[in-house]
Amino acid sequence: MNLIIKKEQWINLAIVASTLWFMWFAQTHFDEYTVRILNNIAIFTILAVSYNLINGVTGQFSLEPNGFVAIGAYVAALLLLDGDAKEYQYDIEDPYPWVLLLHANFVWALFFAGTFSAILALILSFPVFRVRGDYLAIVTLGFGFIIRIIAINNPEVTNGSLGLNDIPEYSNLYWTGGIATLAVIGILNIIYSKYGRAMKAIRDDEDAAIAMGVNTFKVKTLAFCTSAFLEGVGGGLLAALLTSISPDLFTFFFTFQLLIIIVLGGLGSTTGAIIGTILVIGGSEWMRFLDEPMNFGFMETPAMPGMRMVVFSVILIFVMLFAREGIMGKRELKDLFKKRGES
Amino acid sequence: MRKLATLITSAALLASVGIAKEIKVGAVMPMSGPLAAYGQVTYEGVEFANTLQPTLKNGDTIKLVLVDNKGDKVETATSTTRLISSDKVVAILGALTSTNTAQTIAIADKKKIPVIAAVATNDKLTTKRTFANRVCFTDSFQGEVVANYALKDLGLKTAVVIVDQAQVYSLGLAKAFTKAFKKGGGKIVKKIKVTSGDKDFKAVVSQIKSVNPDFMFLPLYHPEASMIARQAKQVGLNKPMFSGDGVANQTFIDLGGESVEGYMFTDFFDYSAPPTQRSKDFIAGYFKKTGKKEMNSFTALGADTYNVLIAAMNRCANPEDSVCINKQIKSTKGYEGVSGILNIDKAGNATRSAVIKVITNGKAVYKTTVNP
Amino acid sequence: MDFTVFMQQMVNGFSLGSMYALIAIGYTMVYGVLRLINFAHGDIMMVGAFLGYFGVSILGLPFPAAVLLAVVGSAALGMLTDKIAYRPLRSAPKISLLITAIGISFFLENAFNVFFGGTPRAFPVPEYMEIILSLGGLTFSVASLMVPIVTLILLAIILWILFKTKYGMAIRALAFDVNTVNLMGIDANRIIMIVFGIGSALAAVGGIFWAVNYPSVEPMMGVLIGLKAFAAAVVGGIGSVAGAVIGGFIIGFTEVVVVAFLPEYGGYKDAFAFVLLILVLLFKPTGILGLNFDKSRF
Repeated sequence: MNLIIKKEQWINLAIVASTLWFMWFAQTHFDEYTVRILNNIAIFTILAVSYNLINGVTGQFSLEPNGFVAIGAYVAALLLLDGDAKEYQYDIEDPYPWVLLLHANFVWALFFAGTFSAILALILSFPVFRVRGDYLAIVTLGFGFIIRIIAINNPEVTNGSLGLNDIPEYSNLYWTGGIATLAVIGILNIIYSKYGRAMKAIRDDEDAAIAMGVNTFKVKTLAFCTSAFLEGVGGGLLAALLTSISPDLFTFFFTFQLLIIIVLGGLGSTTGAIIGTILVIGGSEWMRFLDEPMNFGFMETPAMPGMRMVVFSVILIFVMLFAREGIMGKRELKDLFKKRGES
Repeated sequence: MRKLATLITSAALLASVGIAKEIKVGAVMPMSGPLAAYGQVTYEGVEFANTLQPTLKNGDTIKLVLVDNKGDKVETATSTTRLISSDKVVAILGALTSTNTAQTIAIADKKKIPVIAAVATNDKLTTKRTFANRVCFTDSFQGEVVANYALKDLGLKTAVVIVDQAQVYSLGLAKAFTKAFKKGGGKIVKKIKVTSGDKDFKAVVSQIKSVNPDFMFLPLYHPEASMIARQAKQVGLNKPMFSGDGVANQTFIDLGGESVEGYMFTDFFDYSAPPTQRSKDFIAGYFKKTGKKEMNSFTALGADTYNVLIAAMNRCANPEDSVCINKQIKSTKGYEGVSGILNIDKAGNATRSAVIKVITNGKAVYKTTVNP
Repeated sequence: MDFTVFMQQMVNGFSLGSMYALIAIGYTMVYGVLRLINFAHGDIMMVGAFLGYFGVSILGLPFPAAVLLAVVGSAALGMLTDKIAYRPLRSAPKISLLITAIGISFFLENAFNVFFGGTPRAFPVPEYMEIILSLGGLTFSVASLMVPIVTLILLAIILWILFKTKYGMAIRALAFDVNTVNLMGIDANRIIMIVFGIGSALAAVGGIFWAVNYPSVEPMMGVLIGLKAFAAAVVGGIGSVAGAVIGGFIIGFTEVVVVAFLPEYGGYKDAFAFVLLILVLLFKPTGILGLNFDKSRF
């Protein structure tokens, strides 16, 4: 028994080490285009595994990522820009004096980005989880809209629809890949802890979970806040990768993309979320052909811009109707190597 | 050794005679997504300008590489990086809106690749950047044009400004107009904030009616501007209305119907009054190729991003030297483009004329040209 | 702010609220029988508006015929989505149903975007709808007067169906307990389909009214209206048809009043519906009509 655990640990260690080695190799050897796509994949991995925690593992349908990513991106951007850089770009209204004073290094900026999102998640939890999870989806959907409205209407803080520019470009594969690795390890640890088991219990049968003495409000809130924290951090990384952010970046499409990722990968599987990210974010470049004119031999279709979105939604409906398990189902990587009967 | 020397000389000879190379020029445009309609008409101009003038004077051919950014910031960053690092383009045309163009410029500036924007009018776009250029006028200029025209030609002294908080374009233009209008002795009696996507402006028009201004300035895009025009007529508010180039399209007239009769707006160019010979040729060719009877001003500006770039490349000894191309773009003087006569200054901003149009009998009719 | 201006804003709010109400009824009924937030409902309203547009400007139908086309077409679409996308998932976890609903919503928006373009199209409003009436300083168009009247008539019809017909009884029974309804020999799937049909037909009416009052149609028009209408349904008390109408009026009035009397907060107009939603969830999760969540409905 001991031996098996040890073997598993070795495998995990090997996976982490080779991931980190790959990050280093890519950052130093690959061209910038590839590195940028890998950066996108790393950031979306963080977002997807944390989104999966609330949707897939806890089974509460939520549409929050764009809101929390926006919060994280704005908090990080405001902290990373120094006073002069901010003073120069506030064009609509003069910034509040405290906005100019905000300044922190990258680590603190990411930490506050996450913390701020998590606190907002905590506040949202109260109205939402009091009445089962039914309204979570609509409240989080509305939350995403409100964040945009607030960002547009408070130019003294956010510079309105102009957004924040010239954010120092701290993000590279060491940061994005490193934090993605940490996020995956952290999420897996939660899933295998007693909280993780409680989350799965809520997903499978909420009444039974309550009967077994699970404090569903607490567990759901924990899952929601953890997701929000990591989404905030992801937002911070995104801001420091793009170097400029504006309210129109954080539309519902952002959330929809993540939903496709976790559904395709298999709701409830962290491994699935990672596979989904690679397929959707990496594959979205490849999916470009869908918008172009097509020749089927017997007929030619004209260019149909936006066709990709239609295909995305059809895939989503199709997976839900006919292949609800997605690629991985609820399994993780290590479950694939397990012999039958072992659990 | 001698063999090698011959090889080198013959290679040098070949190079000097010039084996026509293929040089790549990138374009980042929203061909899908919410901005697709604008991206497509702009790229039409780039593409058609390329078919008219596919080679440089030394015989090198230009290959356009178009990447769709879907109007999205993350995609804009990825597209720009791809063009620079994997396609190795010498310059980039695009990316329509000011926010996305700023994203493209932020990346290209570090790599010393010149960007020419077609329609991004925000004032700050080119400041602090070495490799940013544009062929359109800035918000400041457009704001001044409207302010001066209203004050001097129409004798209107008080104005209400309606600004769309969600649009960079609207904020910039409203600010520029307010400054110029006040400077010229006019008075802004009210500033009203709206948000893109709003449809119900009954409360807004009631407020305007109660302050009774000489005219209204609406630096908005066509969906909101047309709704305001309609609802204003419903409450009997019949004051002159003025917009920027955001309403310069047929959809605006379709949406507004009879209520936009007499509506005035500024534009870059009008196909019925081609300002240069190149413009006449381009329009004739465009009509012939597409079978259309009208040409959007975005098409003309898209064409001019390409034309200005080619002219700059022709002035460089090595047309692949991006730094030289950038320098030459910034010394564009009196260039007779499709959209008018262009001068580009050291900062990368274009000095060019604007036209004023008025909607008469359901058509945008050319009224006058304002030179800087 | 004198009395006329106040009354004028009330008239505007009444008209706007009615449109939210018409859409909210569909949400509340579907939620009642399936406990499903039908995200695609706002987009069915958009399809209704588009069908009206096609009816008048492409098929050249007279306006009432175009309305009929929109109502029938939307009802059919609503029933079709139920049959194709929701029915196979009756026994699946609820999250699958919700994800499918989002998928349908995104599909409708983007399919219309691809095939009919994203730029708004002018809706051909019949002239008699645009006649401006004046009454003691108040001005309103025929269209904005018609909206609340038609809404109240439709509400009366729905209530009559629910409480006076056999189908209504079946719908109410279904909201109570699906299993018992099946045991009683009623085809629950058929009843659910009827609910989708009614809800979608009302959404189409709402969509046409929207297109007549703000004469443009575009593929994304249903997103925000749908969200606000759902908030209206919760504020009024989800599961209650009369509550949905009350909730619709409340949200319509709030928006108009804030823009008119506190213009500096006008930018937050779209946020009010959600603030109300959250307040209701915090303090009175059963909504205004106060129906007990797990017991009676409609």
